[in-house]
Amino acid sequence: MLRNFIALLLTITLASAAFAQDAATPPEDTRAATGGAPTLADIMARQNGEQVPNATRELLTGDPLNAANVANQLGTLGGASDSEVYRALRFGTADVTVSTQQPAAGVLIQDRGMAWLQFRQGPLLTWGGYGMLGMLGLLVLFYALRGRIRIDGEKTGNKILRFTNVERFGHWLFAGSFLLLGATGLISLFGRVALIPLFGKESFAWLAMVSKWVHNNVAWAFMVGLIMITVMWLVHNIPNRHDLKWLAVGGGLFSKDVHPPARKFNAGQKMIFWSCVILGVSISASGLSLLFPFELPMFAKTFAIMNDTGIPALLGLGTLPEVMAPHEEMQFAQAWHAIVAFVFMIIIIAHIYLGSVGMEDAYDAMGTGEVEEQWAREHHGLWVEEMEAKERASGAATPAE
Amino acid sequence: MARAKFLCDAERCIECNACVTACKNEHEVPWGINRRRVVTINDGKPGERSISVACMHCSDAPCMAVCPVDCFYQNEEGVVLHSKDLCIGCGYCFYACPFGAPQYPQAGNFGSRGKMDKCTFCAGGPEENHSEAEFSKYGRNRIAEGKLPLCAEMCSTKALLAGDGDVVSGIYRERVVARGFGSGAWGWGTAYDQKDG
Amino acid sequence: MLRKKTNGVARRSQRTSILSQAAETSVDRRTFLRGSGLAIGGLAAISATGGTVTQASAAGAVNGAVDLVKSVCTHCSVGCTVVAEVSNGVWTGQEPGWDSPFNLGAHCAKGASVREHAHGERRLKYPMKKENGEWKRISWEQAIDEVGDQMMSIREESGPDSVYWLGSAKHNNEQAYLFRKFAAYWGTNNVDHQARICHSTTVAGVANTWGYGAMTNSYNDIHNSKAIFIIGGNPAEAHPVSLLHLLRAKEQNNAPVIVCDPRFTRTAAHADEYVRLRPGSDVALVWGILWHLFDNGWEDKEFIRTRVWGMDQIKEEVAKWTPEEVERVTDVPGSQLKRVARTLANNRPGTVIWCMGGTQHTTGNNNTRAYCILQLALGNMGTEGGGTNIFRGHDNVQGATDLGVLSHTLPGYYGLSAGAWGHWSRVWGEDLDWLKGQFQTVKAADGKDKNLMNLTGIPVSRWIDGILEDADNMDQPNNVRAMVLWGHAPNSQTRMKEMKTAMEKLDMLVVIDPFPTVSAVLHDREDGVYLLPAATQFETRGSVTASNRSIQWRDQIMDPLFESLPDHVIIAKLANKFGFGDRLFRNIEMDDAETPNIESVTREFNAGMWTVGYTGQSPERIKLHMANQHTFDRTTLQAIGGPADGDYYGMPWPCWGTPEMNHPGTPNLYDMSKPVSEGGLTFRARFGVERDGDNLLAEGVYSKNSEIQDGYPEFTMQMLMDLGWDSDLTAEERAAIDAVAGPKTNWKTDLSGGIQRVAIKHECAPFGNAKARAVVWTFPDPVPVHREPLYSNRRDLVADYPTYEDRQFYRLPTMYASIQKNDFSKDYPMVLTSGRLVEYEGGGDETRSNPWLAELQQDMFVEINPRDANNLGVRDGAQVWVEGPEGGKVKVMAMVTERVGAGVAFMPFHFGGHFEGEDQRSKYPDGADPYVLGESTNTAQTYGYDSVTQMQETKATLCKIWSA
Repeated sequence: MLRNFIALLLTITLASAAFAQDAATPPEDTRAATGGAPTLADIMARQNGEQVPNATRELLTGDPLNAANVANQLGTLGGASDSEVYRALRFGTADVTVSTQQPAAGVLIQDRGMAWLQFRQGPLLTWGGYGMLGMLGLLVLFYALRGRIRIDGEKTGNKILRFTNVERFGHWLFAGSFLLLGATGLISLFGRVALIPLFGKESFAWLAMVSKWVHNNVAWAFMVGLIMITVMWLVHNIPNRHDLKWLAVGGGLFSKDVHPPARKFNAGQKMIFWSCVILGVSISASGLSLLFPFELPMFAKTFAIMNDTGIPALLGLGTLPEVMAPHEEMQFAQAWHAIVAFVFMIIIIAHIYLGSVGMEDAYDAMGTGEVEEQWAREHHGLWVEEMEAKERASGAATPAE
Repeated sequence: MARAKFLCDAERCIECNACVTACKNEHEVPWGINRRRVVTINDGKPGERSISVACMHCSDAPCMAVCPVDCFYQNEEGVVLHSKDLCIGCGYCFYACPFGAPQYPQAGNFGSRGKMDKCTFCAGGPEENHSEAEFSKYGRNRIAEGKLPLCAEMCSTKALLAGDGDVVSGIYRERVVARGFGSGAWGWGTAYDQKDG
Repeated sequence: MLRKKTNGVARRSQRTSILSQAAETSVDRRTFLRGSGLAIGGLAAISATGGTVTQASAAGAVNGAVDLVKSVCTHCSVGCTVVAEVSNGVWTGQEPGWDSPFNLGAHCAKGASVREHAHGERRLKYPMKKENGEWKRISWEQAIDEVGDQMMSIREESGPDSVYWLGSAKHNNEQAYLFRKFAAYWGTNNVDHQARICHSTTVAGVANTWGYGAMTNSYNDIHNSKAIFIIGGNPAEAHPVSLLHLLRAKEQNNAPVIVCDPRFTRTAAHADEYVRLRPGSDVALVWGILWHLFDNGWEDKEFIRTRVWGMDQIKEEVAKWTPEEVERVTDVPGSQLKRVARTLANNRPGTVIWCMGGTQHTTGNNNTRAYCILQLALGNMGTEGGGTNIFRGHDNVQGATDLGVLSHTLPGYYGLSAGAWGHWSRVWGEDLDWLKGQFQTVKAADGKDKNLMNLTGIPVSRWIDGILEDADNMDQPNNVRAMVLWGHAPNSQTRMKEMKTAMEKLDMLVVIDPFPTVSAVLHDREDGVYLLPAATQFETRGSVTASNRSIQWRDQIMDPLFESLPDHVIIAKLANKFGFGDRLFRNIEMDDAETPNIESVTREFNAGMWTVGYTGQSPERIKLHMANQHTFDRTTLQAIGGPADGDYYGMPWPCWGTPEMNHPGTPNLYDMSKPVSEGGLTFRARFGVERDGDNLLAEGVYSKNSEIQDGYPEFTMQMLMDLGWDSDLTAEERAAIDAVAGPKTNWKTDLSGGIQRVAIKHECAPFGNAKARAVVWTFPDPVPVHREPLYSNRRDLVADYPTYEDRQFYRLPTMYASIQKNDFSKDYPMVLTSGRLVEYEGGGDETRSNPWLAELQQDMFVEINPRDANNLGVRDGAQVWVEGPEGGKVKVMAMVTERVGAGVAFMPFHFGGHFEGEDQRSKYPDGADPYVLGESTNTAQTYGYDSVTQMQETKATLCKIWSA
């Protein structure tokens, strides 16, 4: 279920980032005639800097059947020419043993590295950067038009407890670690282009070293926070009919005196919650496989599942690679980790805006935990009623008195 | 301008691992780090052959491009070197490297790596030639002594060649002619295609 | 700022021509990158010249002068030159020995990592003694006293033969010679070394065919071969650098490489033809090839007529080996053998190479003689590119054999006859009667007194029986009670379960070695074990004989590490303890009371080794060659100009006469195309002049310029007089000859070398000019025949080709038929064989203690064919038990591979330190345990000894395998 979801998102990103190129173009058979030698078409394509399809070449790795039987004259080649052997190595189909025990030592050559690092420096950097700037821009625009969302009614002066200490701890653990991880992540991604020119390599290397250490260790706090908020708030975030009404009027964000009913969490917050959970889980998964290199490969499997769904094919991606070198697993893990991170950060920026400058008194909910009664009635009417009903049942006094 | 290259002649390599131990010997490489390794294809079957692999010192090296701290540099022989002072052990160069050359000592908690270590073509590092610091971080600097990488120099069958690409390919061509068969040297397309020195 | 300065001036005077130009100007890297390695990589293989002292390099970043010291690798027999960079006594770096004609700078994994000796972390650091199960450090004085006293008391009670002196192929020539001499002075022939379990069957077989038991040509001479026939050898792993020469012939001469082996070895991977034979069927295979040769008349008839005796008897035997029968016995299809025969016939001269795969059988001597006969039939002997190139195993196993660290001969293959003792006592200036007194005298069956000095001793392969056998069945009065394992890995020997018992039964076990070895841990002794740290050959100096009979010189690279001492010093300590030090070193200069001068030892054996021509190689000449390696041709091995002009590198023996005679050495044995004075030779007249009325001397052929233009017997003073050549003798020579035995003095016993000099003056071979004999009438099988291994799973063949009857020789009853008659094939269906890995050597105690090597091979394994693995339900990488028919079993990792055929299992023999599943690491002295331990294949290996030399049978026994 989760896998599929990650996979789906990934496919879309891949589509946009054009990340899985050579699988993309359909195989041609003209090459079989030339014994794998490049055709004119290939040469032209390469000259135009286009991708040359390898599908046929991958198969031309010698015929085990015509390999010499030991009782026959062996010659020196044993049934496969050098170039065929090298092709087998290049496409990872060779039967290989190695003198050392290091991970992935058996892979003589993996050629996806370039594609990965180009994606990392190119699309990831630019799209990610612009994405975040874009969201900031939107918020500025929104602030300019709508200004700060005030409490329409008269303040009562009564305070209602909205989030307990535990809830706030969970939130801030999650949020705090997220900020740290985001910052350090951005440093390691943008550092080379943005910071080295400013500080020089030595000082940046120190910064990057610290960032890496922070990123690796704070990750655990992030995962704990993720678990806490999920456990605490899952029930409150199950969608219900009120959400439709809320969405219908855009949560009243864009107009005064419009206050759709909402329980503890309104549809907007629910959206934030669910993206936190889903993106959080996904980013943790890919993060873990980065923390433990080569020990948690997940993309080959994921792609296999996706290919079964047929969606990649529909999207014109052909079939995604189901067999990949350990390095490629890590490349995908890194790429995916970064993609999710950007989406995540973009969403969170909006969340931060609304939770602070964007709305009067909203911050108290996570600050002190107690909110102005009037604010609560306007934004979480149903929830306030629930609370009052509870109190009557328990016959306790209202908090403020 | 001379262009440093490695070439492993698979017809001659007998997987004796001299290159591996010569490297360990010359640079005092610790257990678990293998700047060079020997890979055998079709082990125990007709057509078995072996190839010795290390950093190929690519012309357009992915490791250089991907490094977040930009710790790599290439000297004028095209030898790809790096600075362990800058390296943060992120492991990206390993993911990018076509040949699995970068190596990492296990350092500290869960999977976090120490400084990357790899074949230097026996050309040391950024430090002063022959300095204590250079030796302890990168091993001996044979190039500065006017010698070639020891792995190739000690190869039992001269299968592994290292040095000026023109000379190396010349020797290989000579052999191929003598044998009357044989073709492209392994890894050259990947390592030296883009912009050849 | 990261871009380092790339053209700083080079810090050292460059060694290669190219590099030296570079050094003059500020450094142009282009020229560097065209450097030395490449020069050699080229087919031309032109090499560079060597420098001696260079400036500091980065190693250890030591400043100040770095000396380059030349030594020779201490692993296999190729004799690769090791160039050490030494700074302030510390071995800081290792450089390729470009100048060496043998390795041209190349090394294998072992040679490229010898500098680890400078660290020696896992060495045995000081003398130790086991007391109440604990290792206790003791001083050398205490060690020598205690060991010496106990030995003397054993000598009192049971006689000198109750102490067994097990020497080593790791001694240099001087130490080997001293070791044998020391044993003689102690008064026993119970002295032996690895050669017994390495190439003893080769030495016996080959020497009895044409005179000398050694590699006839050289590694370099393979450059000239038109075909290369390798049987029972895996040089790609056991002698990697030899492939440098082999592949050159393959590439430049298009020489077909034919590999016959039960395993598809790494050598076979580079072969043009791979013949998978059934283990232990070598003779049948060779006869199968000869059948085609004779059938098609492809043999060299003229060569056979003039230089071979007995080929017709061979033909009779071969006639029985039709392709069908050969296929039945060897599993090799006749069609393939016909192709092989044709290849060999069409590509002459071809060389035949063999190693342990051929020698380690109960029929080992038959195998080696069969190989020789193949070459004789092809007429490939005594010619460049031909010959039998027998790759010896250890760095100095050839030298230690020549110098007689053997239980059946004195140095120089003189044997143990009264004459031999007479000769050596003359050389030693020793009173023969005193020597006799040192030995034990027993009553022989006929009631006469019999001195054991003339009786062959117990061989290495049987020392455990020397302890376990009932004394009444032995030809010596008492069992062995004290064992000295001096540079010997017990795990290289079979029957380790019994070895354990034997070790525990001993009064005293003394291990003298740089490492504790398996001897320290195999047994459960609580005390009576001494470990004495010996120095390696890099920590001393001396001469060493490579497989091709060339003698090289090792200079001392560093001082002995820790408290280790060189072998010759330990010998001296013991000799002094036993009170015959003064006699032992009578003619030998002493550097100090306990340090015999190495050069002076060399000179002493120069003075006595006339039979094999170890007489011309004075220390000065050997060192001259080492210093001028670059002047020697890489193919012919002959110096072109320079101080050693005309000499062959290392003066391959026989280097006739005295050093003053300046004989160049003999590059290829029995090569008549050269005059004897320039390295030519004939077949040796060793077996008389006639047999069954046939002439055993050569028929009208003779070495170039020979004044006797026909066959002739070996030279004696009488013969010189008959020829009227005695007038050529100088007065001193004549006096020396008269002092020995007058006219009866022969070329072997003439201490002046006059007879040799005069014979060679007339271009005659001192040892005569005879035929090689294809039939060795003195052996159990005069004509080599196929006999099934003792443990065979082919009972049908056992019926047709049974083994020998049990016999008594080398002081011990030896079983054959009584073992083979039992059928083990039901319970032990698979054939078990063993061999080497490139990373390790011998018992592996040294190499497994070298982290650079150990990391590459961390698990003992057994190779199993996928078919067997599937039948046994064994997966690749799983743990399995392998059990031999004598009950010894080992727990090892299964390696499922097609490298071995179905029904055959292979295990490397370098591992030790595990015993039947038990990890014995805790039994090693602290910090002296090898990095890698593993089961020894020999725990499962079984009984079985060659019918002539007592070579152990490790290449064809049985086993059963099940998953652990």
